Amino acid sequence: MAFRKSATYLTPLIFFLIVITFFPLALGPQQSLLSALAPGVIWISALLASLLAVEGIFSEDQRDGTLDQYFLSNEPAFLLVFAKVLCHWLVCGAPILLASIFGSMILYLPDGVLIPLLFSLFMGTFFMSLLGALGAALSLGKSAILSAVIVLPFSIPTLLMGTAIMASAINGQDYSGYLSIMGAMLAIGIPGLCILTVEAILLSYE
Amino acid sequence: MGSPPLFYRWASAFLPWLGVLATITFTVGLFWGLGFAPTDYKQGDVYRIIFIHVPSAILGQSIYLMMAVFGFISMVWRAKIAGMLLIAAAPIGAGFTLIALVTGSIWGKPTWGTWWVWDARLTSTLILFFLYMTIIALHSSIENKTKADRTISILAVLGITIVPIIKKSVDWWQTLHQPSTFSLTSAPSMTADMYQPLLLCVLGFYLVFIFMLTNGLRAEIISRERDKNWVKKQFLNKEIR
Repeated sequence: MAFRKSATYLTPLIFFLIVITFFPLALGPQQSLLSALAPGVIWISALLASLLAVEGIFSEDQRDGTLDQYFLSNEPAFLLVFAKVLCHWLVCGAPILLASIFGSMILYLPDGVLIPLLFSLFMGTFFMSLLGALGAALSLGKSAILSAVIVLPFSIPTLLMGTAIMASAINGQDYSGYLSIMGAMLAIGIPGLCILTVEAILLSYE
Repeated sequence: MGSPPLFYRWASAFLPWLGVLATITFTVGLFWGLGFAPTDYKQGDVYRIIFIHVPSAILGQSIYLMMAVFGFISMVWRAKIAGMLLIAAAPIGAGFTLIALVTGSIWGKPTWGTWWVWDARLTSTLILFFLYMTIIALHSSIENKTKADRTISILAVLGITIVPIIKKSVDWWQTLHQPSTFSLTSAPSMTADMYQPLLLCVLGFYLVFIFMLTNGLRAEIISRERDKNWVKKQFLNKEIR
């Protein structure tokens, strides 16, 4: 469905690339500076892009009544919400993940840390999609910036974990510990955030 | 306790006593701390800001904990009062957190030589402040107040699961801030004539908070239930037809 309109998957991707391009323009093109900032820059851009992408996830379904069917169907609603977020991530998150390879090249990311970057971004963007879906549900029918403001403080652990993984990878240390913490957050977040999202959508019907 | 009229009457009877108690504890604690506690040998008189900084930081955190508990209650049992309490507490909590940040900043300038450092505790307090602000922003964006209460209860519950993670995840940053002033398990690291007024200050701040919260809750109840008969009876001494 989402693939039919190129805007759904192309817009977050373009947003991500433009934000990445802004940093060399704003900070100057020195290779050493950019390479030091690259992990953080890629992380922030990916978080913002996946957050903005997921913002409208329920609004169209609410307009055409598909959202009502979630709660009328025999399947548990949180499973449907999870499926919705998963599809959304595949359409919007995965292209960002691929584009981060390109981003890491133009920002001179140090060699050999592309794999941890992709691993951490994979989990990070998915966690952001889940969080963003909750934000979208809480601010259903309200402004986009409200949903962003609600979600941003809660995305801080993900950002810190992601940059911690990058920092230890660059220093040649073992980053698997941080990676497992992130995986644990995702494992708790999938059921937890989906249930809260269902709760939030139900509220908007009252 | 669950019914607004009952709570209102109970709170109105209890409030003056609480007000007197809070004023006495708060004033005595502050006067004792700011005026009579001994001067610190290293920091001089600057340290006296601790009597405002530590109580407000403690309150900023415990108010959030309280909001999460009542958020859970409001989410699961749909208790009306719990939801109102949430939005009555949020601005107070934000205020105390802001006071903790500002006094900490003022304290940091002479002792650390800078207004702000990106230290773990400072950062997590700042994030706590942002969490309060998002709760207030979300509540104000929803017209229906009861619905708004339940919406922010979701956020409060999410917040309490994420606050420990935030604390842990910022912990590996280099920490300039001294360890907690109070601990339940070990003896205090300052002299008795310093921590006694500090304890009194903490108690006083708590009482002031409970006073403000009860008062705010009363106002919230009256404004929500202004169409109900019992409010008209209370204020106009007549029934509506």
